[in-house]
Amino acid sequence: MGLVGQVFDALLAIALVWLAWQATRAADLFRAVVSFIVFGLLMAVAWVRLEAPDIALAEAAIGAGATGALLLSALDRLAPRRGRSWARVWRADARTWVLWVPAVMALAGALTAAAWQLPAPGLGAVATGALEQSGVDHAVTAVLLNFRALDTLLEIGVLVLAAVAVWSMGPAPAASAPVMPSPTLPMLGRTLFPVFVLVAAYLLWRGSHAPGGAFPAGAVLGAGGILMLLAGAQPWIRSAEHGPWRAILSAGFAVMLFAAIVGALAGGAFFEYPAAIASHAILVLEVTAGMSIALLLFAVYLRGEPHPAADTDRQRC
Amino acid sequence: MNQVYPFLAAGLLLNIVVGLVRILRGPTAADRMLAAEMFATSAIVIVLLLAFVTGSFALVDVALIFSLLAALACVTFVSRAWVALEQASDDAASGPPPGDRGDTQ
Repeated sequence: MGLVGQVFDALLAIALVWLAWQATRAADLFRAVVSFIVFGLLMAVAWVRLEAPDIALAEAAIGAGATGALLLSALDRLAPRRGRSWARVWRADARTWVLWVPAVMALAGALTAAAWQLPAPGLGAVATGALEQSGVDHAVTAVLLNFRALDTLLEIGVLVLAAVAVWSMGPAPAASAPVMPSPTLPMLGRTLFPVFVLVAAYLLWRGSHAPGGAFPAGAVLGAGGILMLLAGAQPWIRSAEHGPWRAILSAGFAVMLFAAIVGALAGGAFFEYPAAIASHAILVLEVTAGMSIALLLFAVYLRGEPHPAADTDRQRC
Repeated sequence: MNQVYPFLAAGLLLNIVVGLVRILRGPTAADRMLAAEMFATSAIVIVLLLAFVTGSFALVDVALIFSLLAALACVTFVSRAWVALEQASDDAASGPPPGDRGDTQ
């Protein structure tokens, strides 16, 4: 794209730095949240420019979409408190200048030095070279669910921990019901939810040979669930034990751990699948991980442990 | 025709950068949210243009996700945040509403 491309990148960089500043420093919380949503949007465009469509997909689905909705609905609990005056914090806290600023600068310097010493070509060639043994045709999926599956296991573990932490805060607040009931919302939910499911399934299927996979698919499906919740639908919970919810919430983590341990017991390394069944194993892992991620994001969005008795007065859809 | 696409993408991004003023100044929460929705629409077009410039059509999926999740952000805002913010500004009727203070520092 030549000169135009450079102008584009410069504009993108300026907007990103400005939005990051706004998202962390704006006195008004709503402005900070909107800045964060737009930051996620432009960050995805930046990943597109860096020719990393996999990260762009994940950033668009999780950064701009699911997290944005999460923060927007957290606002109704935070709004009465108003934003803190950052100017006062900035002036009053002398520790910021003696302790935190030097510490952050030292960390940034150390990270830069470490990145500088990384071996030049990286591991890209090694990963693409071993692609035939991985069971999938797309290098990123092969890295995520085969070569470095341990990282993915830990990422899902973080999500499980987040859901456990949110649910242990107490029962879900009653404000989970729409504050402003509108006849268009249930219609929109009914029209759009099948599209969310379709796109999630498509992304999951794409993951085996092109950018896609469990994380974007799970985020899109979870976002569809959030849309249905906003449209007035009730979460399907019949008992205090949350029925099959707990099984699906933990299935992604449990199945991945099971695959890793079976691989280790069968004589290989931790997370070493036999090349003959690698393709099927990755498919199973990807589907369960996608379902778990979708329900985990949805569970975090509920802002507390859902209870069947608490939502009898909610509008049914 | 393909030579026009980079210029169009840069122009749309410039549009977003200029539109950031709306997020800074508001004045109401609805103005800020509409600006964000406008950015989402522009970003969809930018990504689609880049897909045609670079010829990597996996980027169309990114635009697809943008379009789906922009609707979710809009619905969340209308059904949750908007009413809460209006109530908060009604409660603080003596002072300026929370969306009106233009200080960053």
